[in-house]
Amino acid sequence: MVSFLLAPELLRYRDEPKQLPSGGLGKDAFLRLGFKRRGHRTALIELKRRAPLLAQQALYWDDEMPMLPCVSIISNSGGILQGDRYTIEIDLADGTEAHITTQAATKIHEMDANFATQTQDIALATGSYLEYLPHPVIPHRHARFASRTRIVIEQSATLLYSEILMPGRKYYGDGEVFAYDLFSSSIRAERPDGKALFAERFIVEPQISDVGNVAVMGRFDVFANVLLLTPKTHTDRIFEQVAPVIDVERGWAAGLGRLPGEAGLIYKVLGMESQLVRAKVREFWSLVRTEVKGARVPGEFLWG
Amino acid sequence: MCGVTELLRVLQFADSALPVGAFSFSNGLESAVQNGIVHDHDSLKEMVLTATRQAATLDGIALLVAHRAALNADMDTIIAADQAAYQRKLSEEMRTMTVRMGRKLGELGEHVVRTTLLAEWVGAIKSGATPGTFPIGLALVTSGLGIDAGAAFAAQQYGVASMMLGAALRLMRISFLETQSILMEVNGTAEDMYQRVRTDALDDMRSFAPLADIMAAVHVKAHVRMFMN
Repeated sequence: MVSFLLAPELLRYRDEPKQLPSGGLGKDAFLRLGFKRRGHRTALIELKRRAPLLAQQALYWDDEMPMLPCVSIISNSGGILQGDRYTIEIDLADGTEAHITTQAATKIHEMDANFATQTQDIALATGSYLEYLPHPVIPHRHARFASRTRIVIEQSATLLYSEILMPGRKYYGDGEVFAYDLFSSSIRAERPDGKALFAERFIVEPQISDVGNVAVMGRFDVFANVLLLTPKTHTDRIFEQVAPVIDVERGWAAGLGRLPGEAGLIYKVLGMESQLVRAKVREFWSLVRTEVKGARVPGEFLWG
Repeated sequence: MCGVTELLRVLQFADSALPVGAFSFSNGLESAVQNGIVHDHDSLKEMVLTATRQAATLDGIALLVAHRAALNADMDTIIAADQAAYQRKLSEEMRTMTVRMGRKLGELGEHVVRTTLLAEWVGAIKSGATPGTFPIGLALVTSGLGIDAGAAFAAQQYGVASMMLGAALRLMRISFLETQSILMEVNGTAEDMYQRVRTDALDDMRSFAPLADIMAAVHVKAHVRMFMN
């Protein structure tokens, strides 16, 4: 994977913070979650953590899939700060299943020096199934954030992965909408033998480009990018069931496309408010789980 | 500035009448018009500006990398650029467009430009070893004719804008005076785009246009279609 130090979009933000040095102690978070079969269910066998990222243990709270280990990624620093360098590794062994989320929305705090990064490595072995559905990301004023996600997935495995990007703290003060400096996200997926499937890299720089352009965000504020990597039989059936929508009146738009290399589907949702976008991602999640696992999704927590 | 012959070569391969089938595609405009996203001069201009920016930061980088590689007869890098251009097109109709036009341009180039690299590339497309995307075809044709990278990039950018504006005349109420003024303005942004991407590597290929992606997805399932994307 290409080093963040060479990433052109970060070059202008190389100044060091006045507080803790970038990537130093307390800022180089690491989390590794390794799942294996233990008896009749999947267990979280490997848990390595370095603050401010942590996870406690897998809980089996999903009534619809009682054998599914559910893990919440926690941060004890209250959000992502300038100079933070996060690394997350998720590994699913043959025939395992897991659900991973975050404790709450990820706040990327206001920055006046440097940037924050997140590197994710996700590996899915034969027949494994992962739902990785973090809460939305909220980049505050002048936040600069770059993430790189590499997925290595065996042909029979399924990954559902979503990123929900808020425009900022929409109702804070006079409204902090697209006031961040940089949000950069790169995803690439390959088979275990190294065969590349697809890559997507988007860079949003609201201060220097027109995010309100009719082909970019238009009048929408919230963007969800959902990847479903799954065998072709599931892809075909799910593709048939989702109708694309552009509904300016109700304030949302969504479209499902087939990825190159018969890797699966990509679902993009735009909306004015996070509730509607999250509800649409949840509907898609429900469809995927029904199709792939023959199970329903659990009820929503009262606290969202 | 290139000489008269080079200029004519660029004109030939940037021409919207080049027989590679560009007239069958609208690069997402048909869906934008059908859904009311593009409805007048200003919204059309915005859509074309986004499409040309995407063309610069995705296909443009692949084109420039392949153009450099062609000068060194480096087929491995040409194929890597071809695959990168294909794997980063996440809409199936956009993939159809690029490989259909790419293959036609390759065959045309093989016939009229006649370089070994073009013959080798067309052979690799036929054997399934490489996808055969349009920017790579353009890189091989232009480098084979001694056209420099900047002019090759310009030809690509012109092709995207003229395809969409040609489609606009058939899709919406707009005059050719208006489309020509948009073309003039869009072409004025190409130099800046070129400077931004000219030294970029394949890993730097990027784009952000979620509404364009959603419109492309809507088009795949649309019942009434004049264009193939």
